[in-house]
Amino acid sequence: MKYVVLILCVFSLNFMISQDLLLEAESFDDTGGWVVDPQFIEQMGSSYLLAHGMGEPVKNAKTKVDFKKNGRYRVWVRTKNWVPGKWEAPGRFQIKVNDMILENTLGLRSGWGWEFAGAVQIKDKRNMVELVDLSGFNGRCDAIYFTTSDVEPPSSMKKLAAWRKNVVMEPSVPKVTKGYDLVVVGGGIAGCAAAIAAAEQGLQVALIHDRPVLGGNASSEIRVHTLGIYGNFERILKKLDTEHYPNGSPEAHEDQIKRDNNVKSYNNISLFLNWRAYDAKAVENKINYVDARQTATGEHIRFEAPLFVDSTGDGWIGFWSGAEFSYGRESVDQYGEAWKEHGELWSPKQPDNAVMGSSVLWRSYEAEHKTNFPEVPWAMSVAGDYASVKGEWQWEFSRNDLHQIDDAEEIRDHMLRAIYGSFANAKKQAENANRKLEWVSYLVGKRESRRLVGDYIFTLNDAKSGRTFPDGVVEETREVDVHYQTVLEDDKNPDFISEALFYKTPKYYIPYRSLYSKNISNLFMAGRNFSTSHIGLGGPRVMRTTGQMGAAVGFAASLCKKYDVGPREIYTGYLDEYMDLVERQKYAPIPDSKK
Amino acid sequence: MKTTIGIIFFCGLGFLWTPKMMLAKLNGYQQRTVVKKPDFYAMEWQEGIVLNRKPTSFFIEVETLGNQNVDMLVTDRQRPVLYMADICTPVCADGECRLMYLSLYWNLLGSYVGFDKVEGQALTKHDHVEFVKEDYEKLHQLLLDDNSILKRRKIDELVSKPKGPRTDGVDAIAGATIEEVKESVVDGALYSCYVAWNIAHGPIKAELQEYTNTMFDKELMHYMLMSREVDYQMYALNSLSEAEYMEYRDRIAQIFKESIPLVRTYIVQNLPKLFWETDSLQIPFWSSFAEVDINNRSLLLNHIRKAPIEVLVVLGGNLELMTKNQLRLYLSAVESIIKTNPEINAQLLRFSESSNHTYAYIVAEFLEEMY
Repeated sequence: MKYVVLILCVFSLNFMISQDLLLEAESFDDTGGWVVDPQFIEQMGSSYLLAHGMGEPVKNAKTKVDFKKNGRYRVWVRTKNWVPGKWEAPGRFQIKVNDMILENTLGLRSGWGWEFAGAVQIKDKRNMVELVDLSGFNGRCDAIYFTTSDVEPPSSMKKLAAWRKNVVMEPSVPKVTKGYDLVVVGGGIAGCAAAIAAAEQGLQVALIHDRPVLGGNASSEIRVHTLGIYGNFERILKKLDTEHYPNGSPEAHEDQIKRDNNVKSYNNISLFLNWRAYDAKAVENKINYVDARQTATGEHIRFEAPLFVDSTGDGWIGFWSGAEFSYGRESVDQYGEAWKEHGELWSPKQPDNAVMGSSVLWRSYEAEHKTNFPEVPWAMSVAGDYASVKGEWQWEFSRNDLHQIDDAEEIRDHMLRAIYGSFANAKKQAENANRKLEWVSYLVGKRESRRLVGDYIFTLNDAKSGRTFPDGVVEETREVDVHYQTVLEDDKNPDFISEALFYKTPKYYIPYRSLYSKNISNLFMAGRNFSTSHIGLGGPRVMRTTGQMGAAVGFAASLCKKYDVGPREIYTGYLDEYMDLVERQKYAPIPDSKK
Repeated sequence: MKTTIGIIFFCGLGFLWTPKMMLAKLNGYQQRTVVKKPDFYAMEWQEGIVLNRKPTSFFIEVETLGNQNVDMLVTDRQRPVLYMADICTPVCADGECRLMYLSLYWNLLGSYVGFDKVEGQALTKHDHVEFVKEDYEKLHQLLLDDNSILKRRKIDELVSKPKGPRTDGVDAIAGATIEEVKESVVDGALYSCYVAWNIAHGPIKAELQEYTNTMFDKELMHYMLMSREVDYQMYALNSLSEAEYMEYRDRIAQIFKESIPLVRTYIVQNLPKLFWETDSLQIPFWSSFAEVDINNRSLLLNHIRKAPIEVLVVLGGNLELMTKNQLRLYLSAVESIIKTNPEINAQLLRFSESSNHTYAYIVAEFLEEMY
């Protein structure tokens, strides 16, 4: 557990010295039924603990805390009411110190900030602090601050970052630096494939992933099945993909075990699970390092390498290092991607910031006995009268005032309201008397966000024409499938249900030049943040295809190392050797070490 | 056994007549005028209208039954209104074929809009049970869905075949219709639905739209723009010159208020610049702010910096409708005038102090930082 005792001079007006202590909730010794949520660090400042009990209060999170000094402490909690309104806040919780519940219920304030929990008399060095969930509906706690002063900690994001840095005395540079041949950020299918391909060619690889399990959208935490073909990389992708079960199926667990074991079997892949990158520094358009933080303990490591792969999905490494990127829909004329039959739904006359949405999958089961589900008045303005007992891929949300990255927490929360509200409606139907929620993801399954710009931008026309490329390393036969929200056609439709438009294409190819950055000389990208137009993404955004991208850049990285060159030079100077290497993967025997 | 759609042979049905002869015998079929609203119809019907059938060169090809002509329905003044075709098509499943009769209607853009039953020729299901009213209605709803799952699947992909060794030897109909298909087709009539959908949404669709396009003139544009059919509105809007935007500005503002989000979006995204530079031209669009959907409110707010003060004041009374990011946009637009505009100032204060609004805190924080 990490907590920080600090001595703040001149903190209060009367110049008293105060012994203060900041507890990061995500670093509790025992998180009980609360889960660590690191998805929105860039927006709200930290990982936090989430009481994701699907309507049933979760077990207390507990941690031991040593105080340097006895005394009376005021206790502040950073939290928010995730649905403020005329109802009882859904995510209510309390703080318990030793055996005492502090006086104020928390989770009531609008927007992230500090709530006063109460005061507590600390009499011994060793103390137990607990989070007591009251509702099971996604209460959230970022941090707890014990202070002897009367000053409320700052809530505004600008001031908070500086305050936090000061309070935890966080060094500006991570104390630990590690060096690799290749650093892959993002352990979705693309990132895993990149790591395996590079490792098989003998590179020392770091794979950094912010969850405890690998696979991203395919993981048992999000549960989207993998689609697409294997292309040249069947052997590697079979280590990572899933069966074609319904989205949301618990069968995802079996594939999870397979995937995690396979990646862990490579000695030269250093796997950093529960580590989230937070910065990348480029000098003269070349990335020197990526900094990452352990999502629970807050430790920092600096990762240095000559080559990096951005498979974060959101293009974070590119974004931080200054890579060109795009977001939203191009005008229909920019790349000539019209589909007359679907007009503006497909590609608009004017460019805009609309993108395909994010899904939160869920399911319920028939219990043996009648079960109750609480009233959820705070969900009904989203759910309306929509009733459902499960959510597949059509449960998707995108709206033009919400950015898929900057507003991801609001998008997730909107989906949670849609789910709980629709399930509450379904529970009112007699046939669902025994229905009980089995699983609701709390992770946002994104389809589209930033797309980094490479030397080539893949578009619909490449798919339509089945154009071949001398560097065509990824191949696909799946239709181009672009989603839109059905509310666009009728505003009486629920805003969380989407529809797909399928454009049938011949077999098509993605060139290697779409898999490295145009302006950052040592950055590959693989996954949905590769170089493509909005419509171009419609086909190859599925995970066997993104896995192909990963494998392709992993092999390219090995040649970069061999010749000490950057990604572009593989295309300009070593293409034949690279394409031979890719081609050989179709027939490559299992390495001795893996037999 | 592989099941094929299309006619095989009619020997099993004992047909001796030619299909044309059959069609001629059907009571009420192939009337030269249409005076009543089709049995199932998705557009507005003008009571009392008489539509005359006017042959076109277009046809629908039906295997072994030959080409079935598509007519245009025109008013007495020769204004085109719809397209229609009397369809007689075989539907075959499990080695058994029967004929399906329908009169199909398309609008001027080639979109399916309705059908008539043919007297004495009820549609039937696989087990020969006749369609009931709900079945016809379901068929109509299916045909209205231009993005149906039937679009991208072959018929044998629409049924899940039994697993195991029997698969090869069992006709697909023995398998259960897959869930998504089941929801959209008439129970027990997958093949009829499939055939009808593929006729309604076949190549004829694009051909008819193209044909309308060759006739598209100012009169037709006016007709479509004045129509409540959203496809017509979109088509007409897409053809407008800047001068026509001006000419039809009242109608366009009305469409913006009343139409579907997609059409509204087209309008707000494609209004000529002049509209955003002229107070009197943009105000009618702002005045629909409360009525339109969230996406279109965002698109309007993209123009807030060019909005006249009176618009900012009116919006100030609608803060509860705004999302978090919309509020932020609004606040950044009024930041410089708050101190000199007591009305907006009062609206912000009132909103920020309310405990009922999800985003009241955004305004409260904003005011806190200002003062």
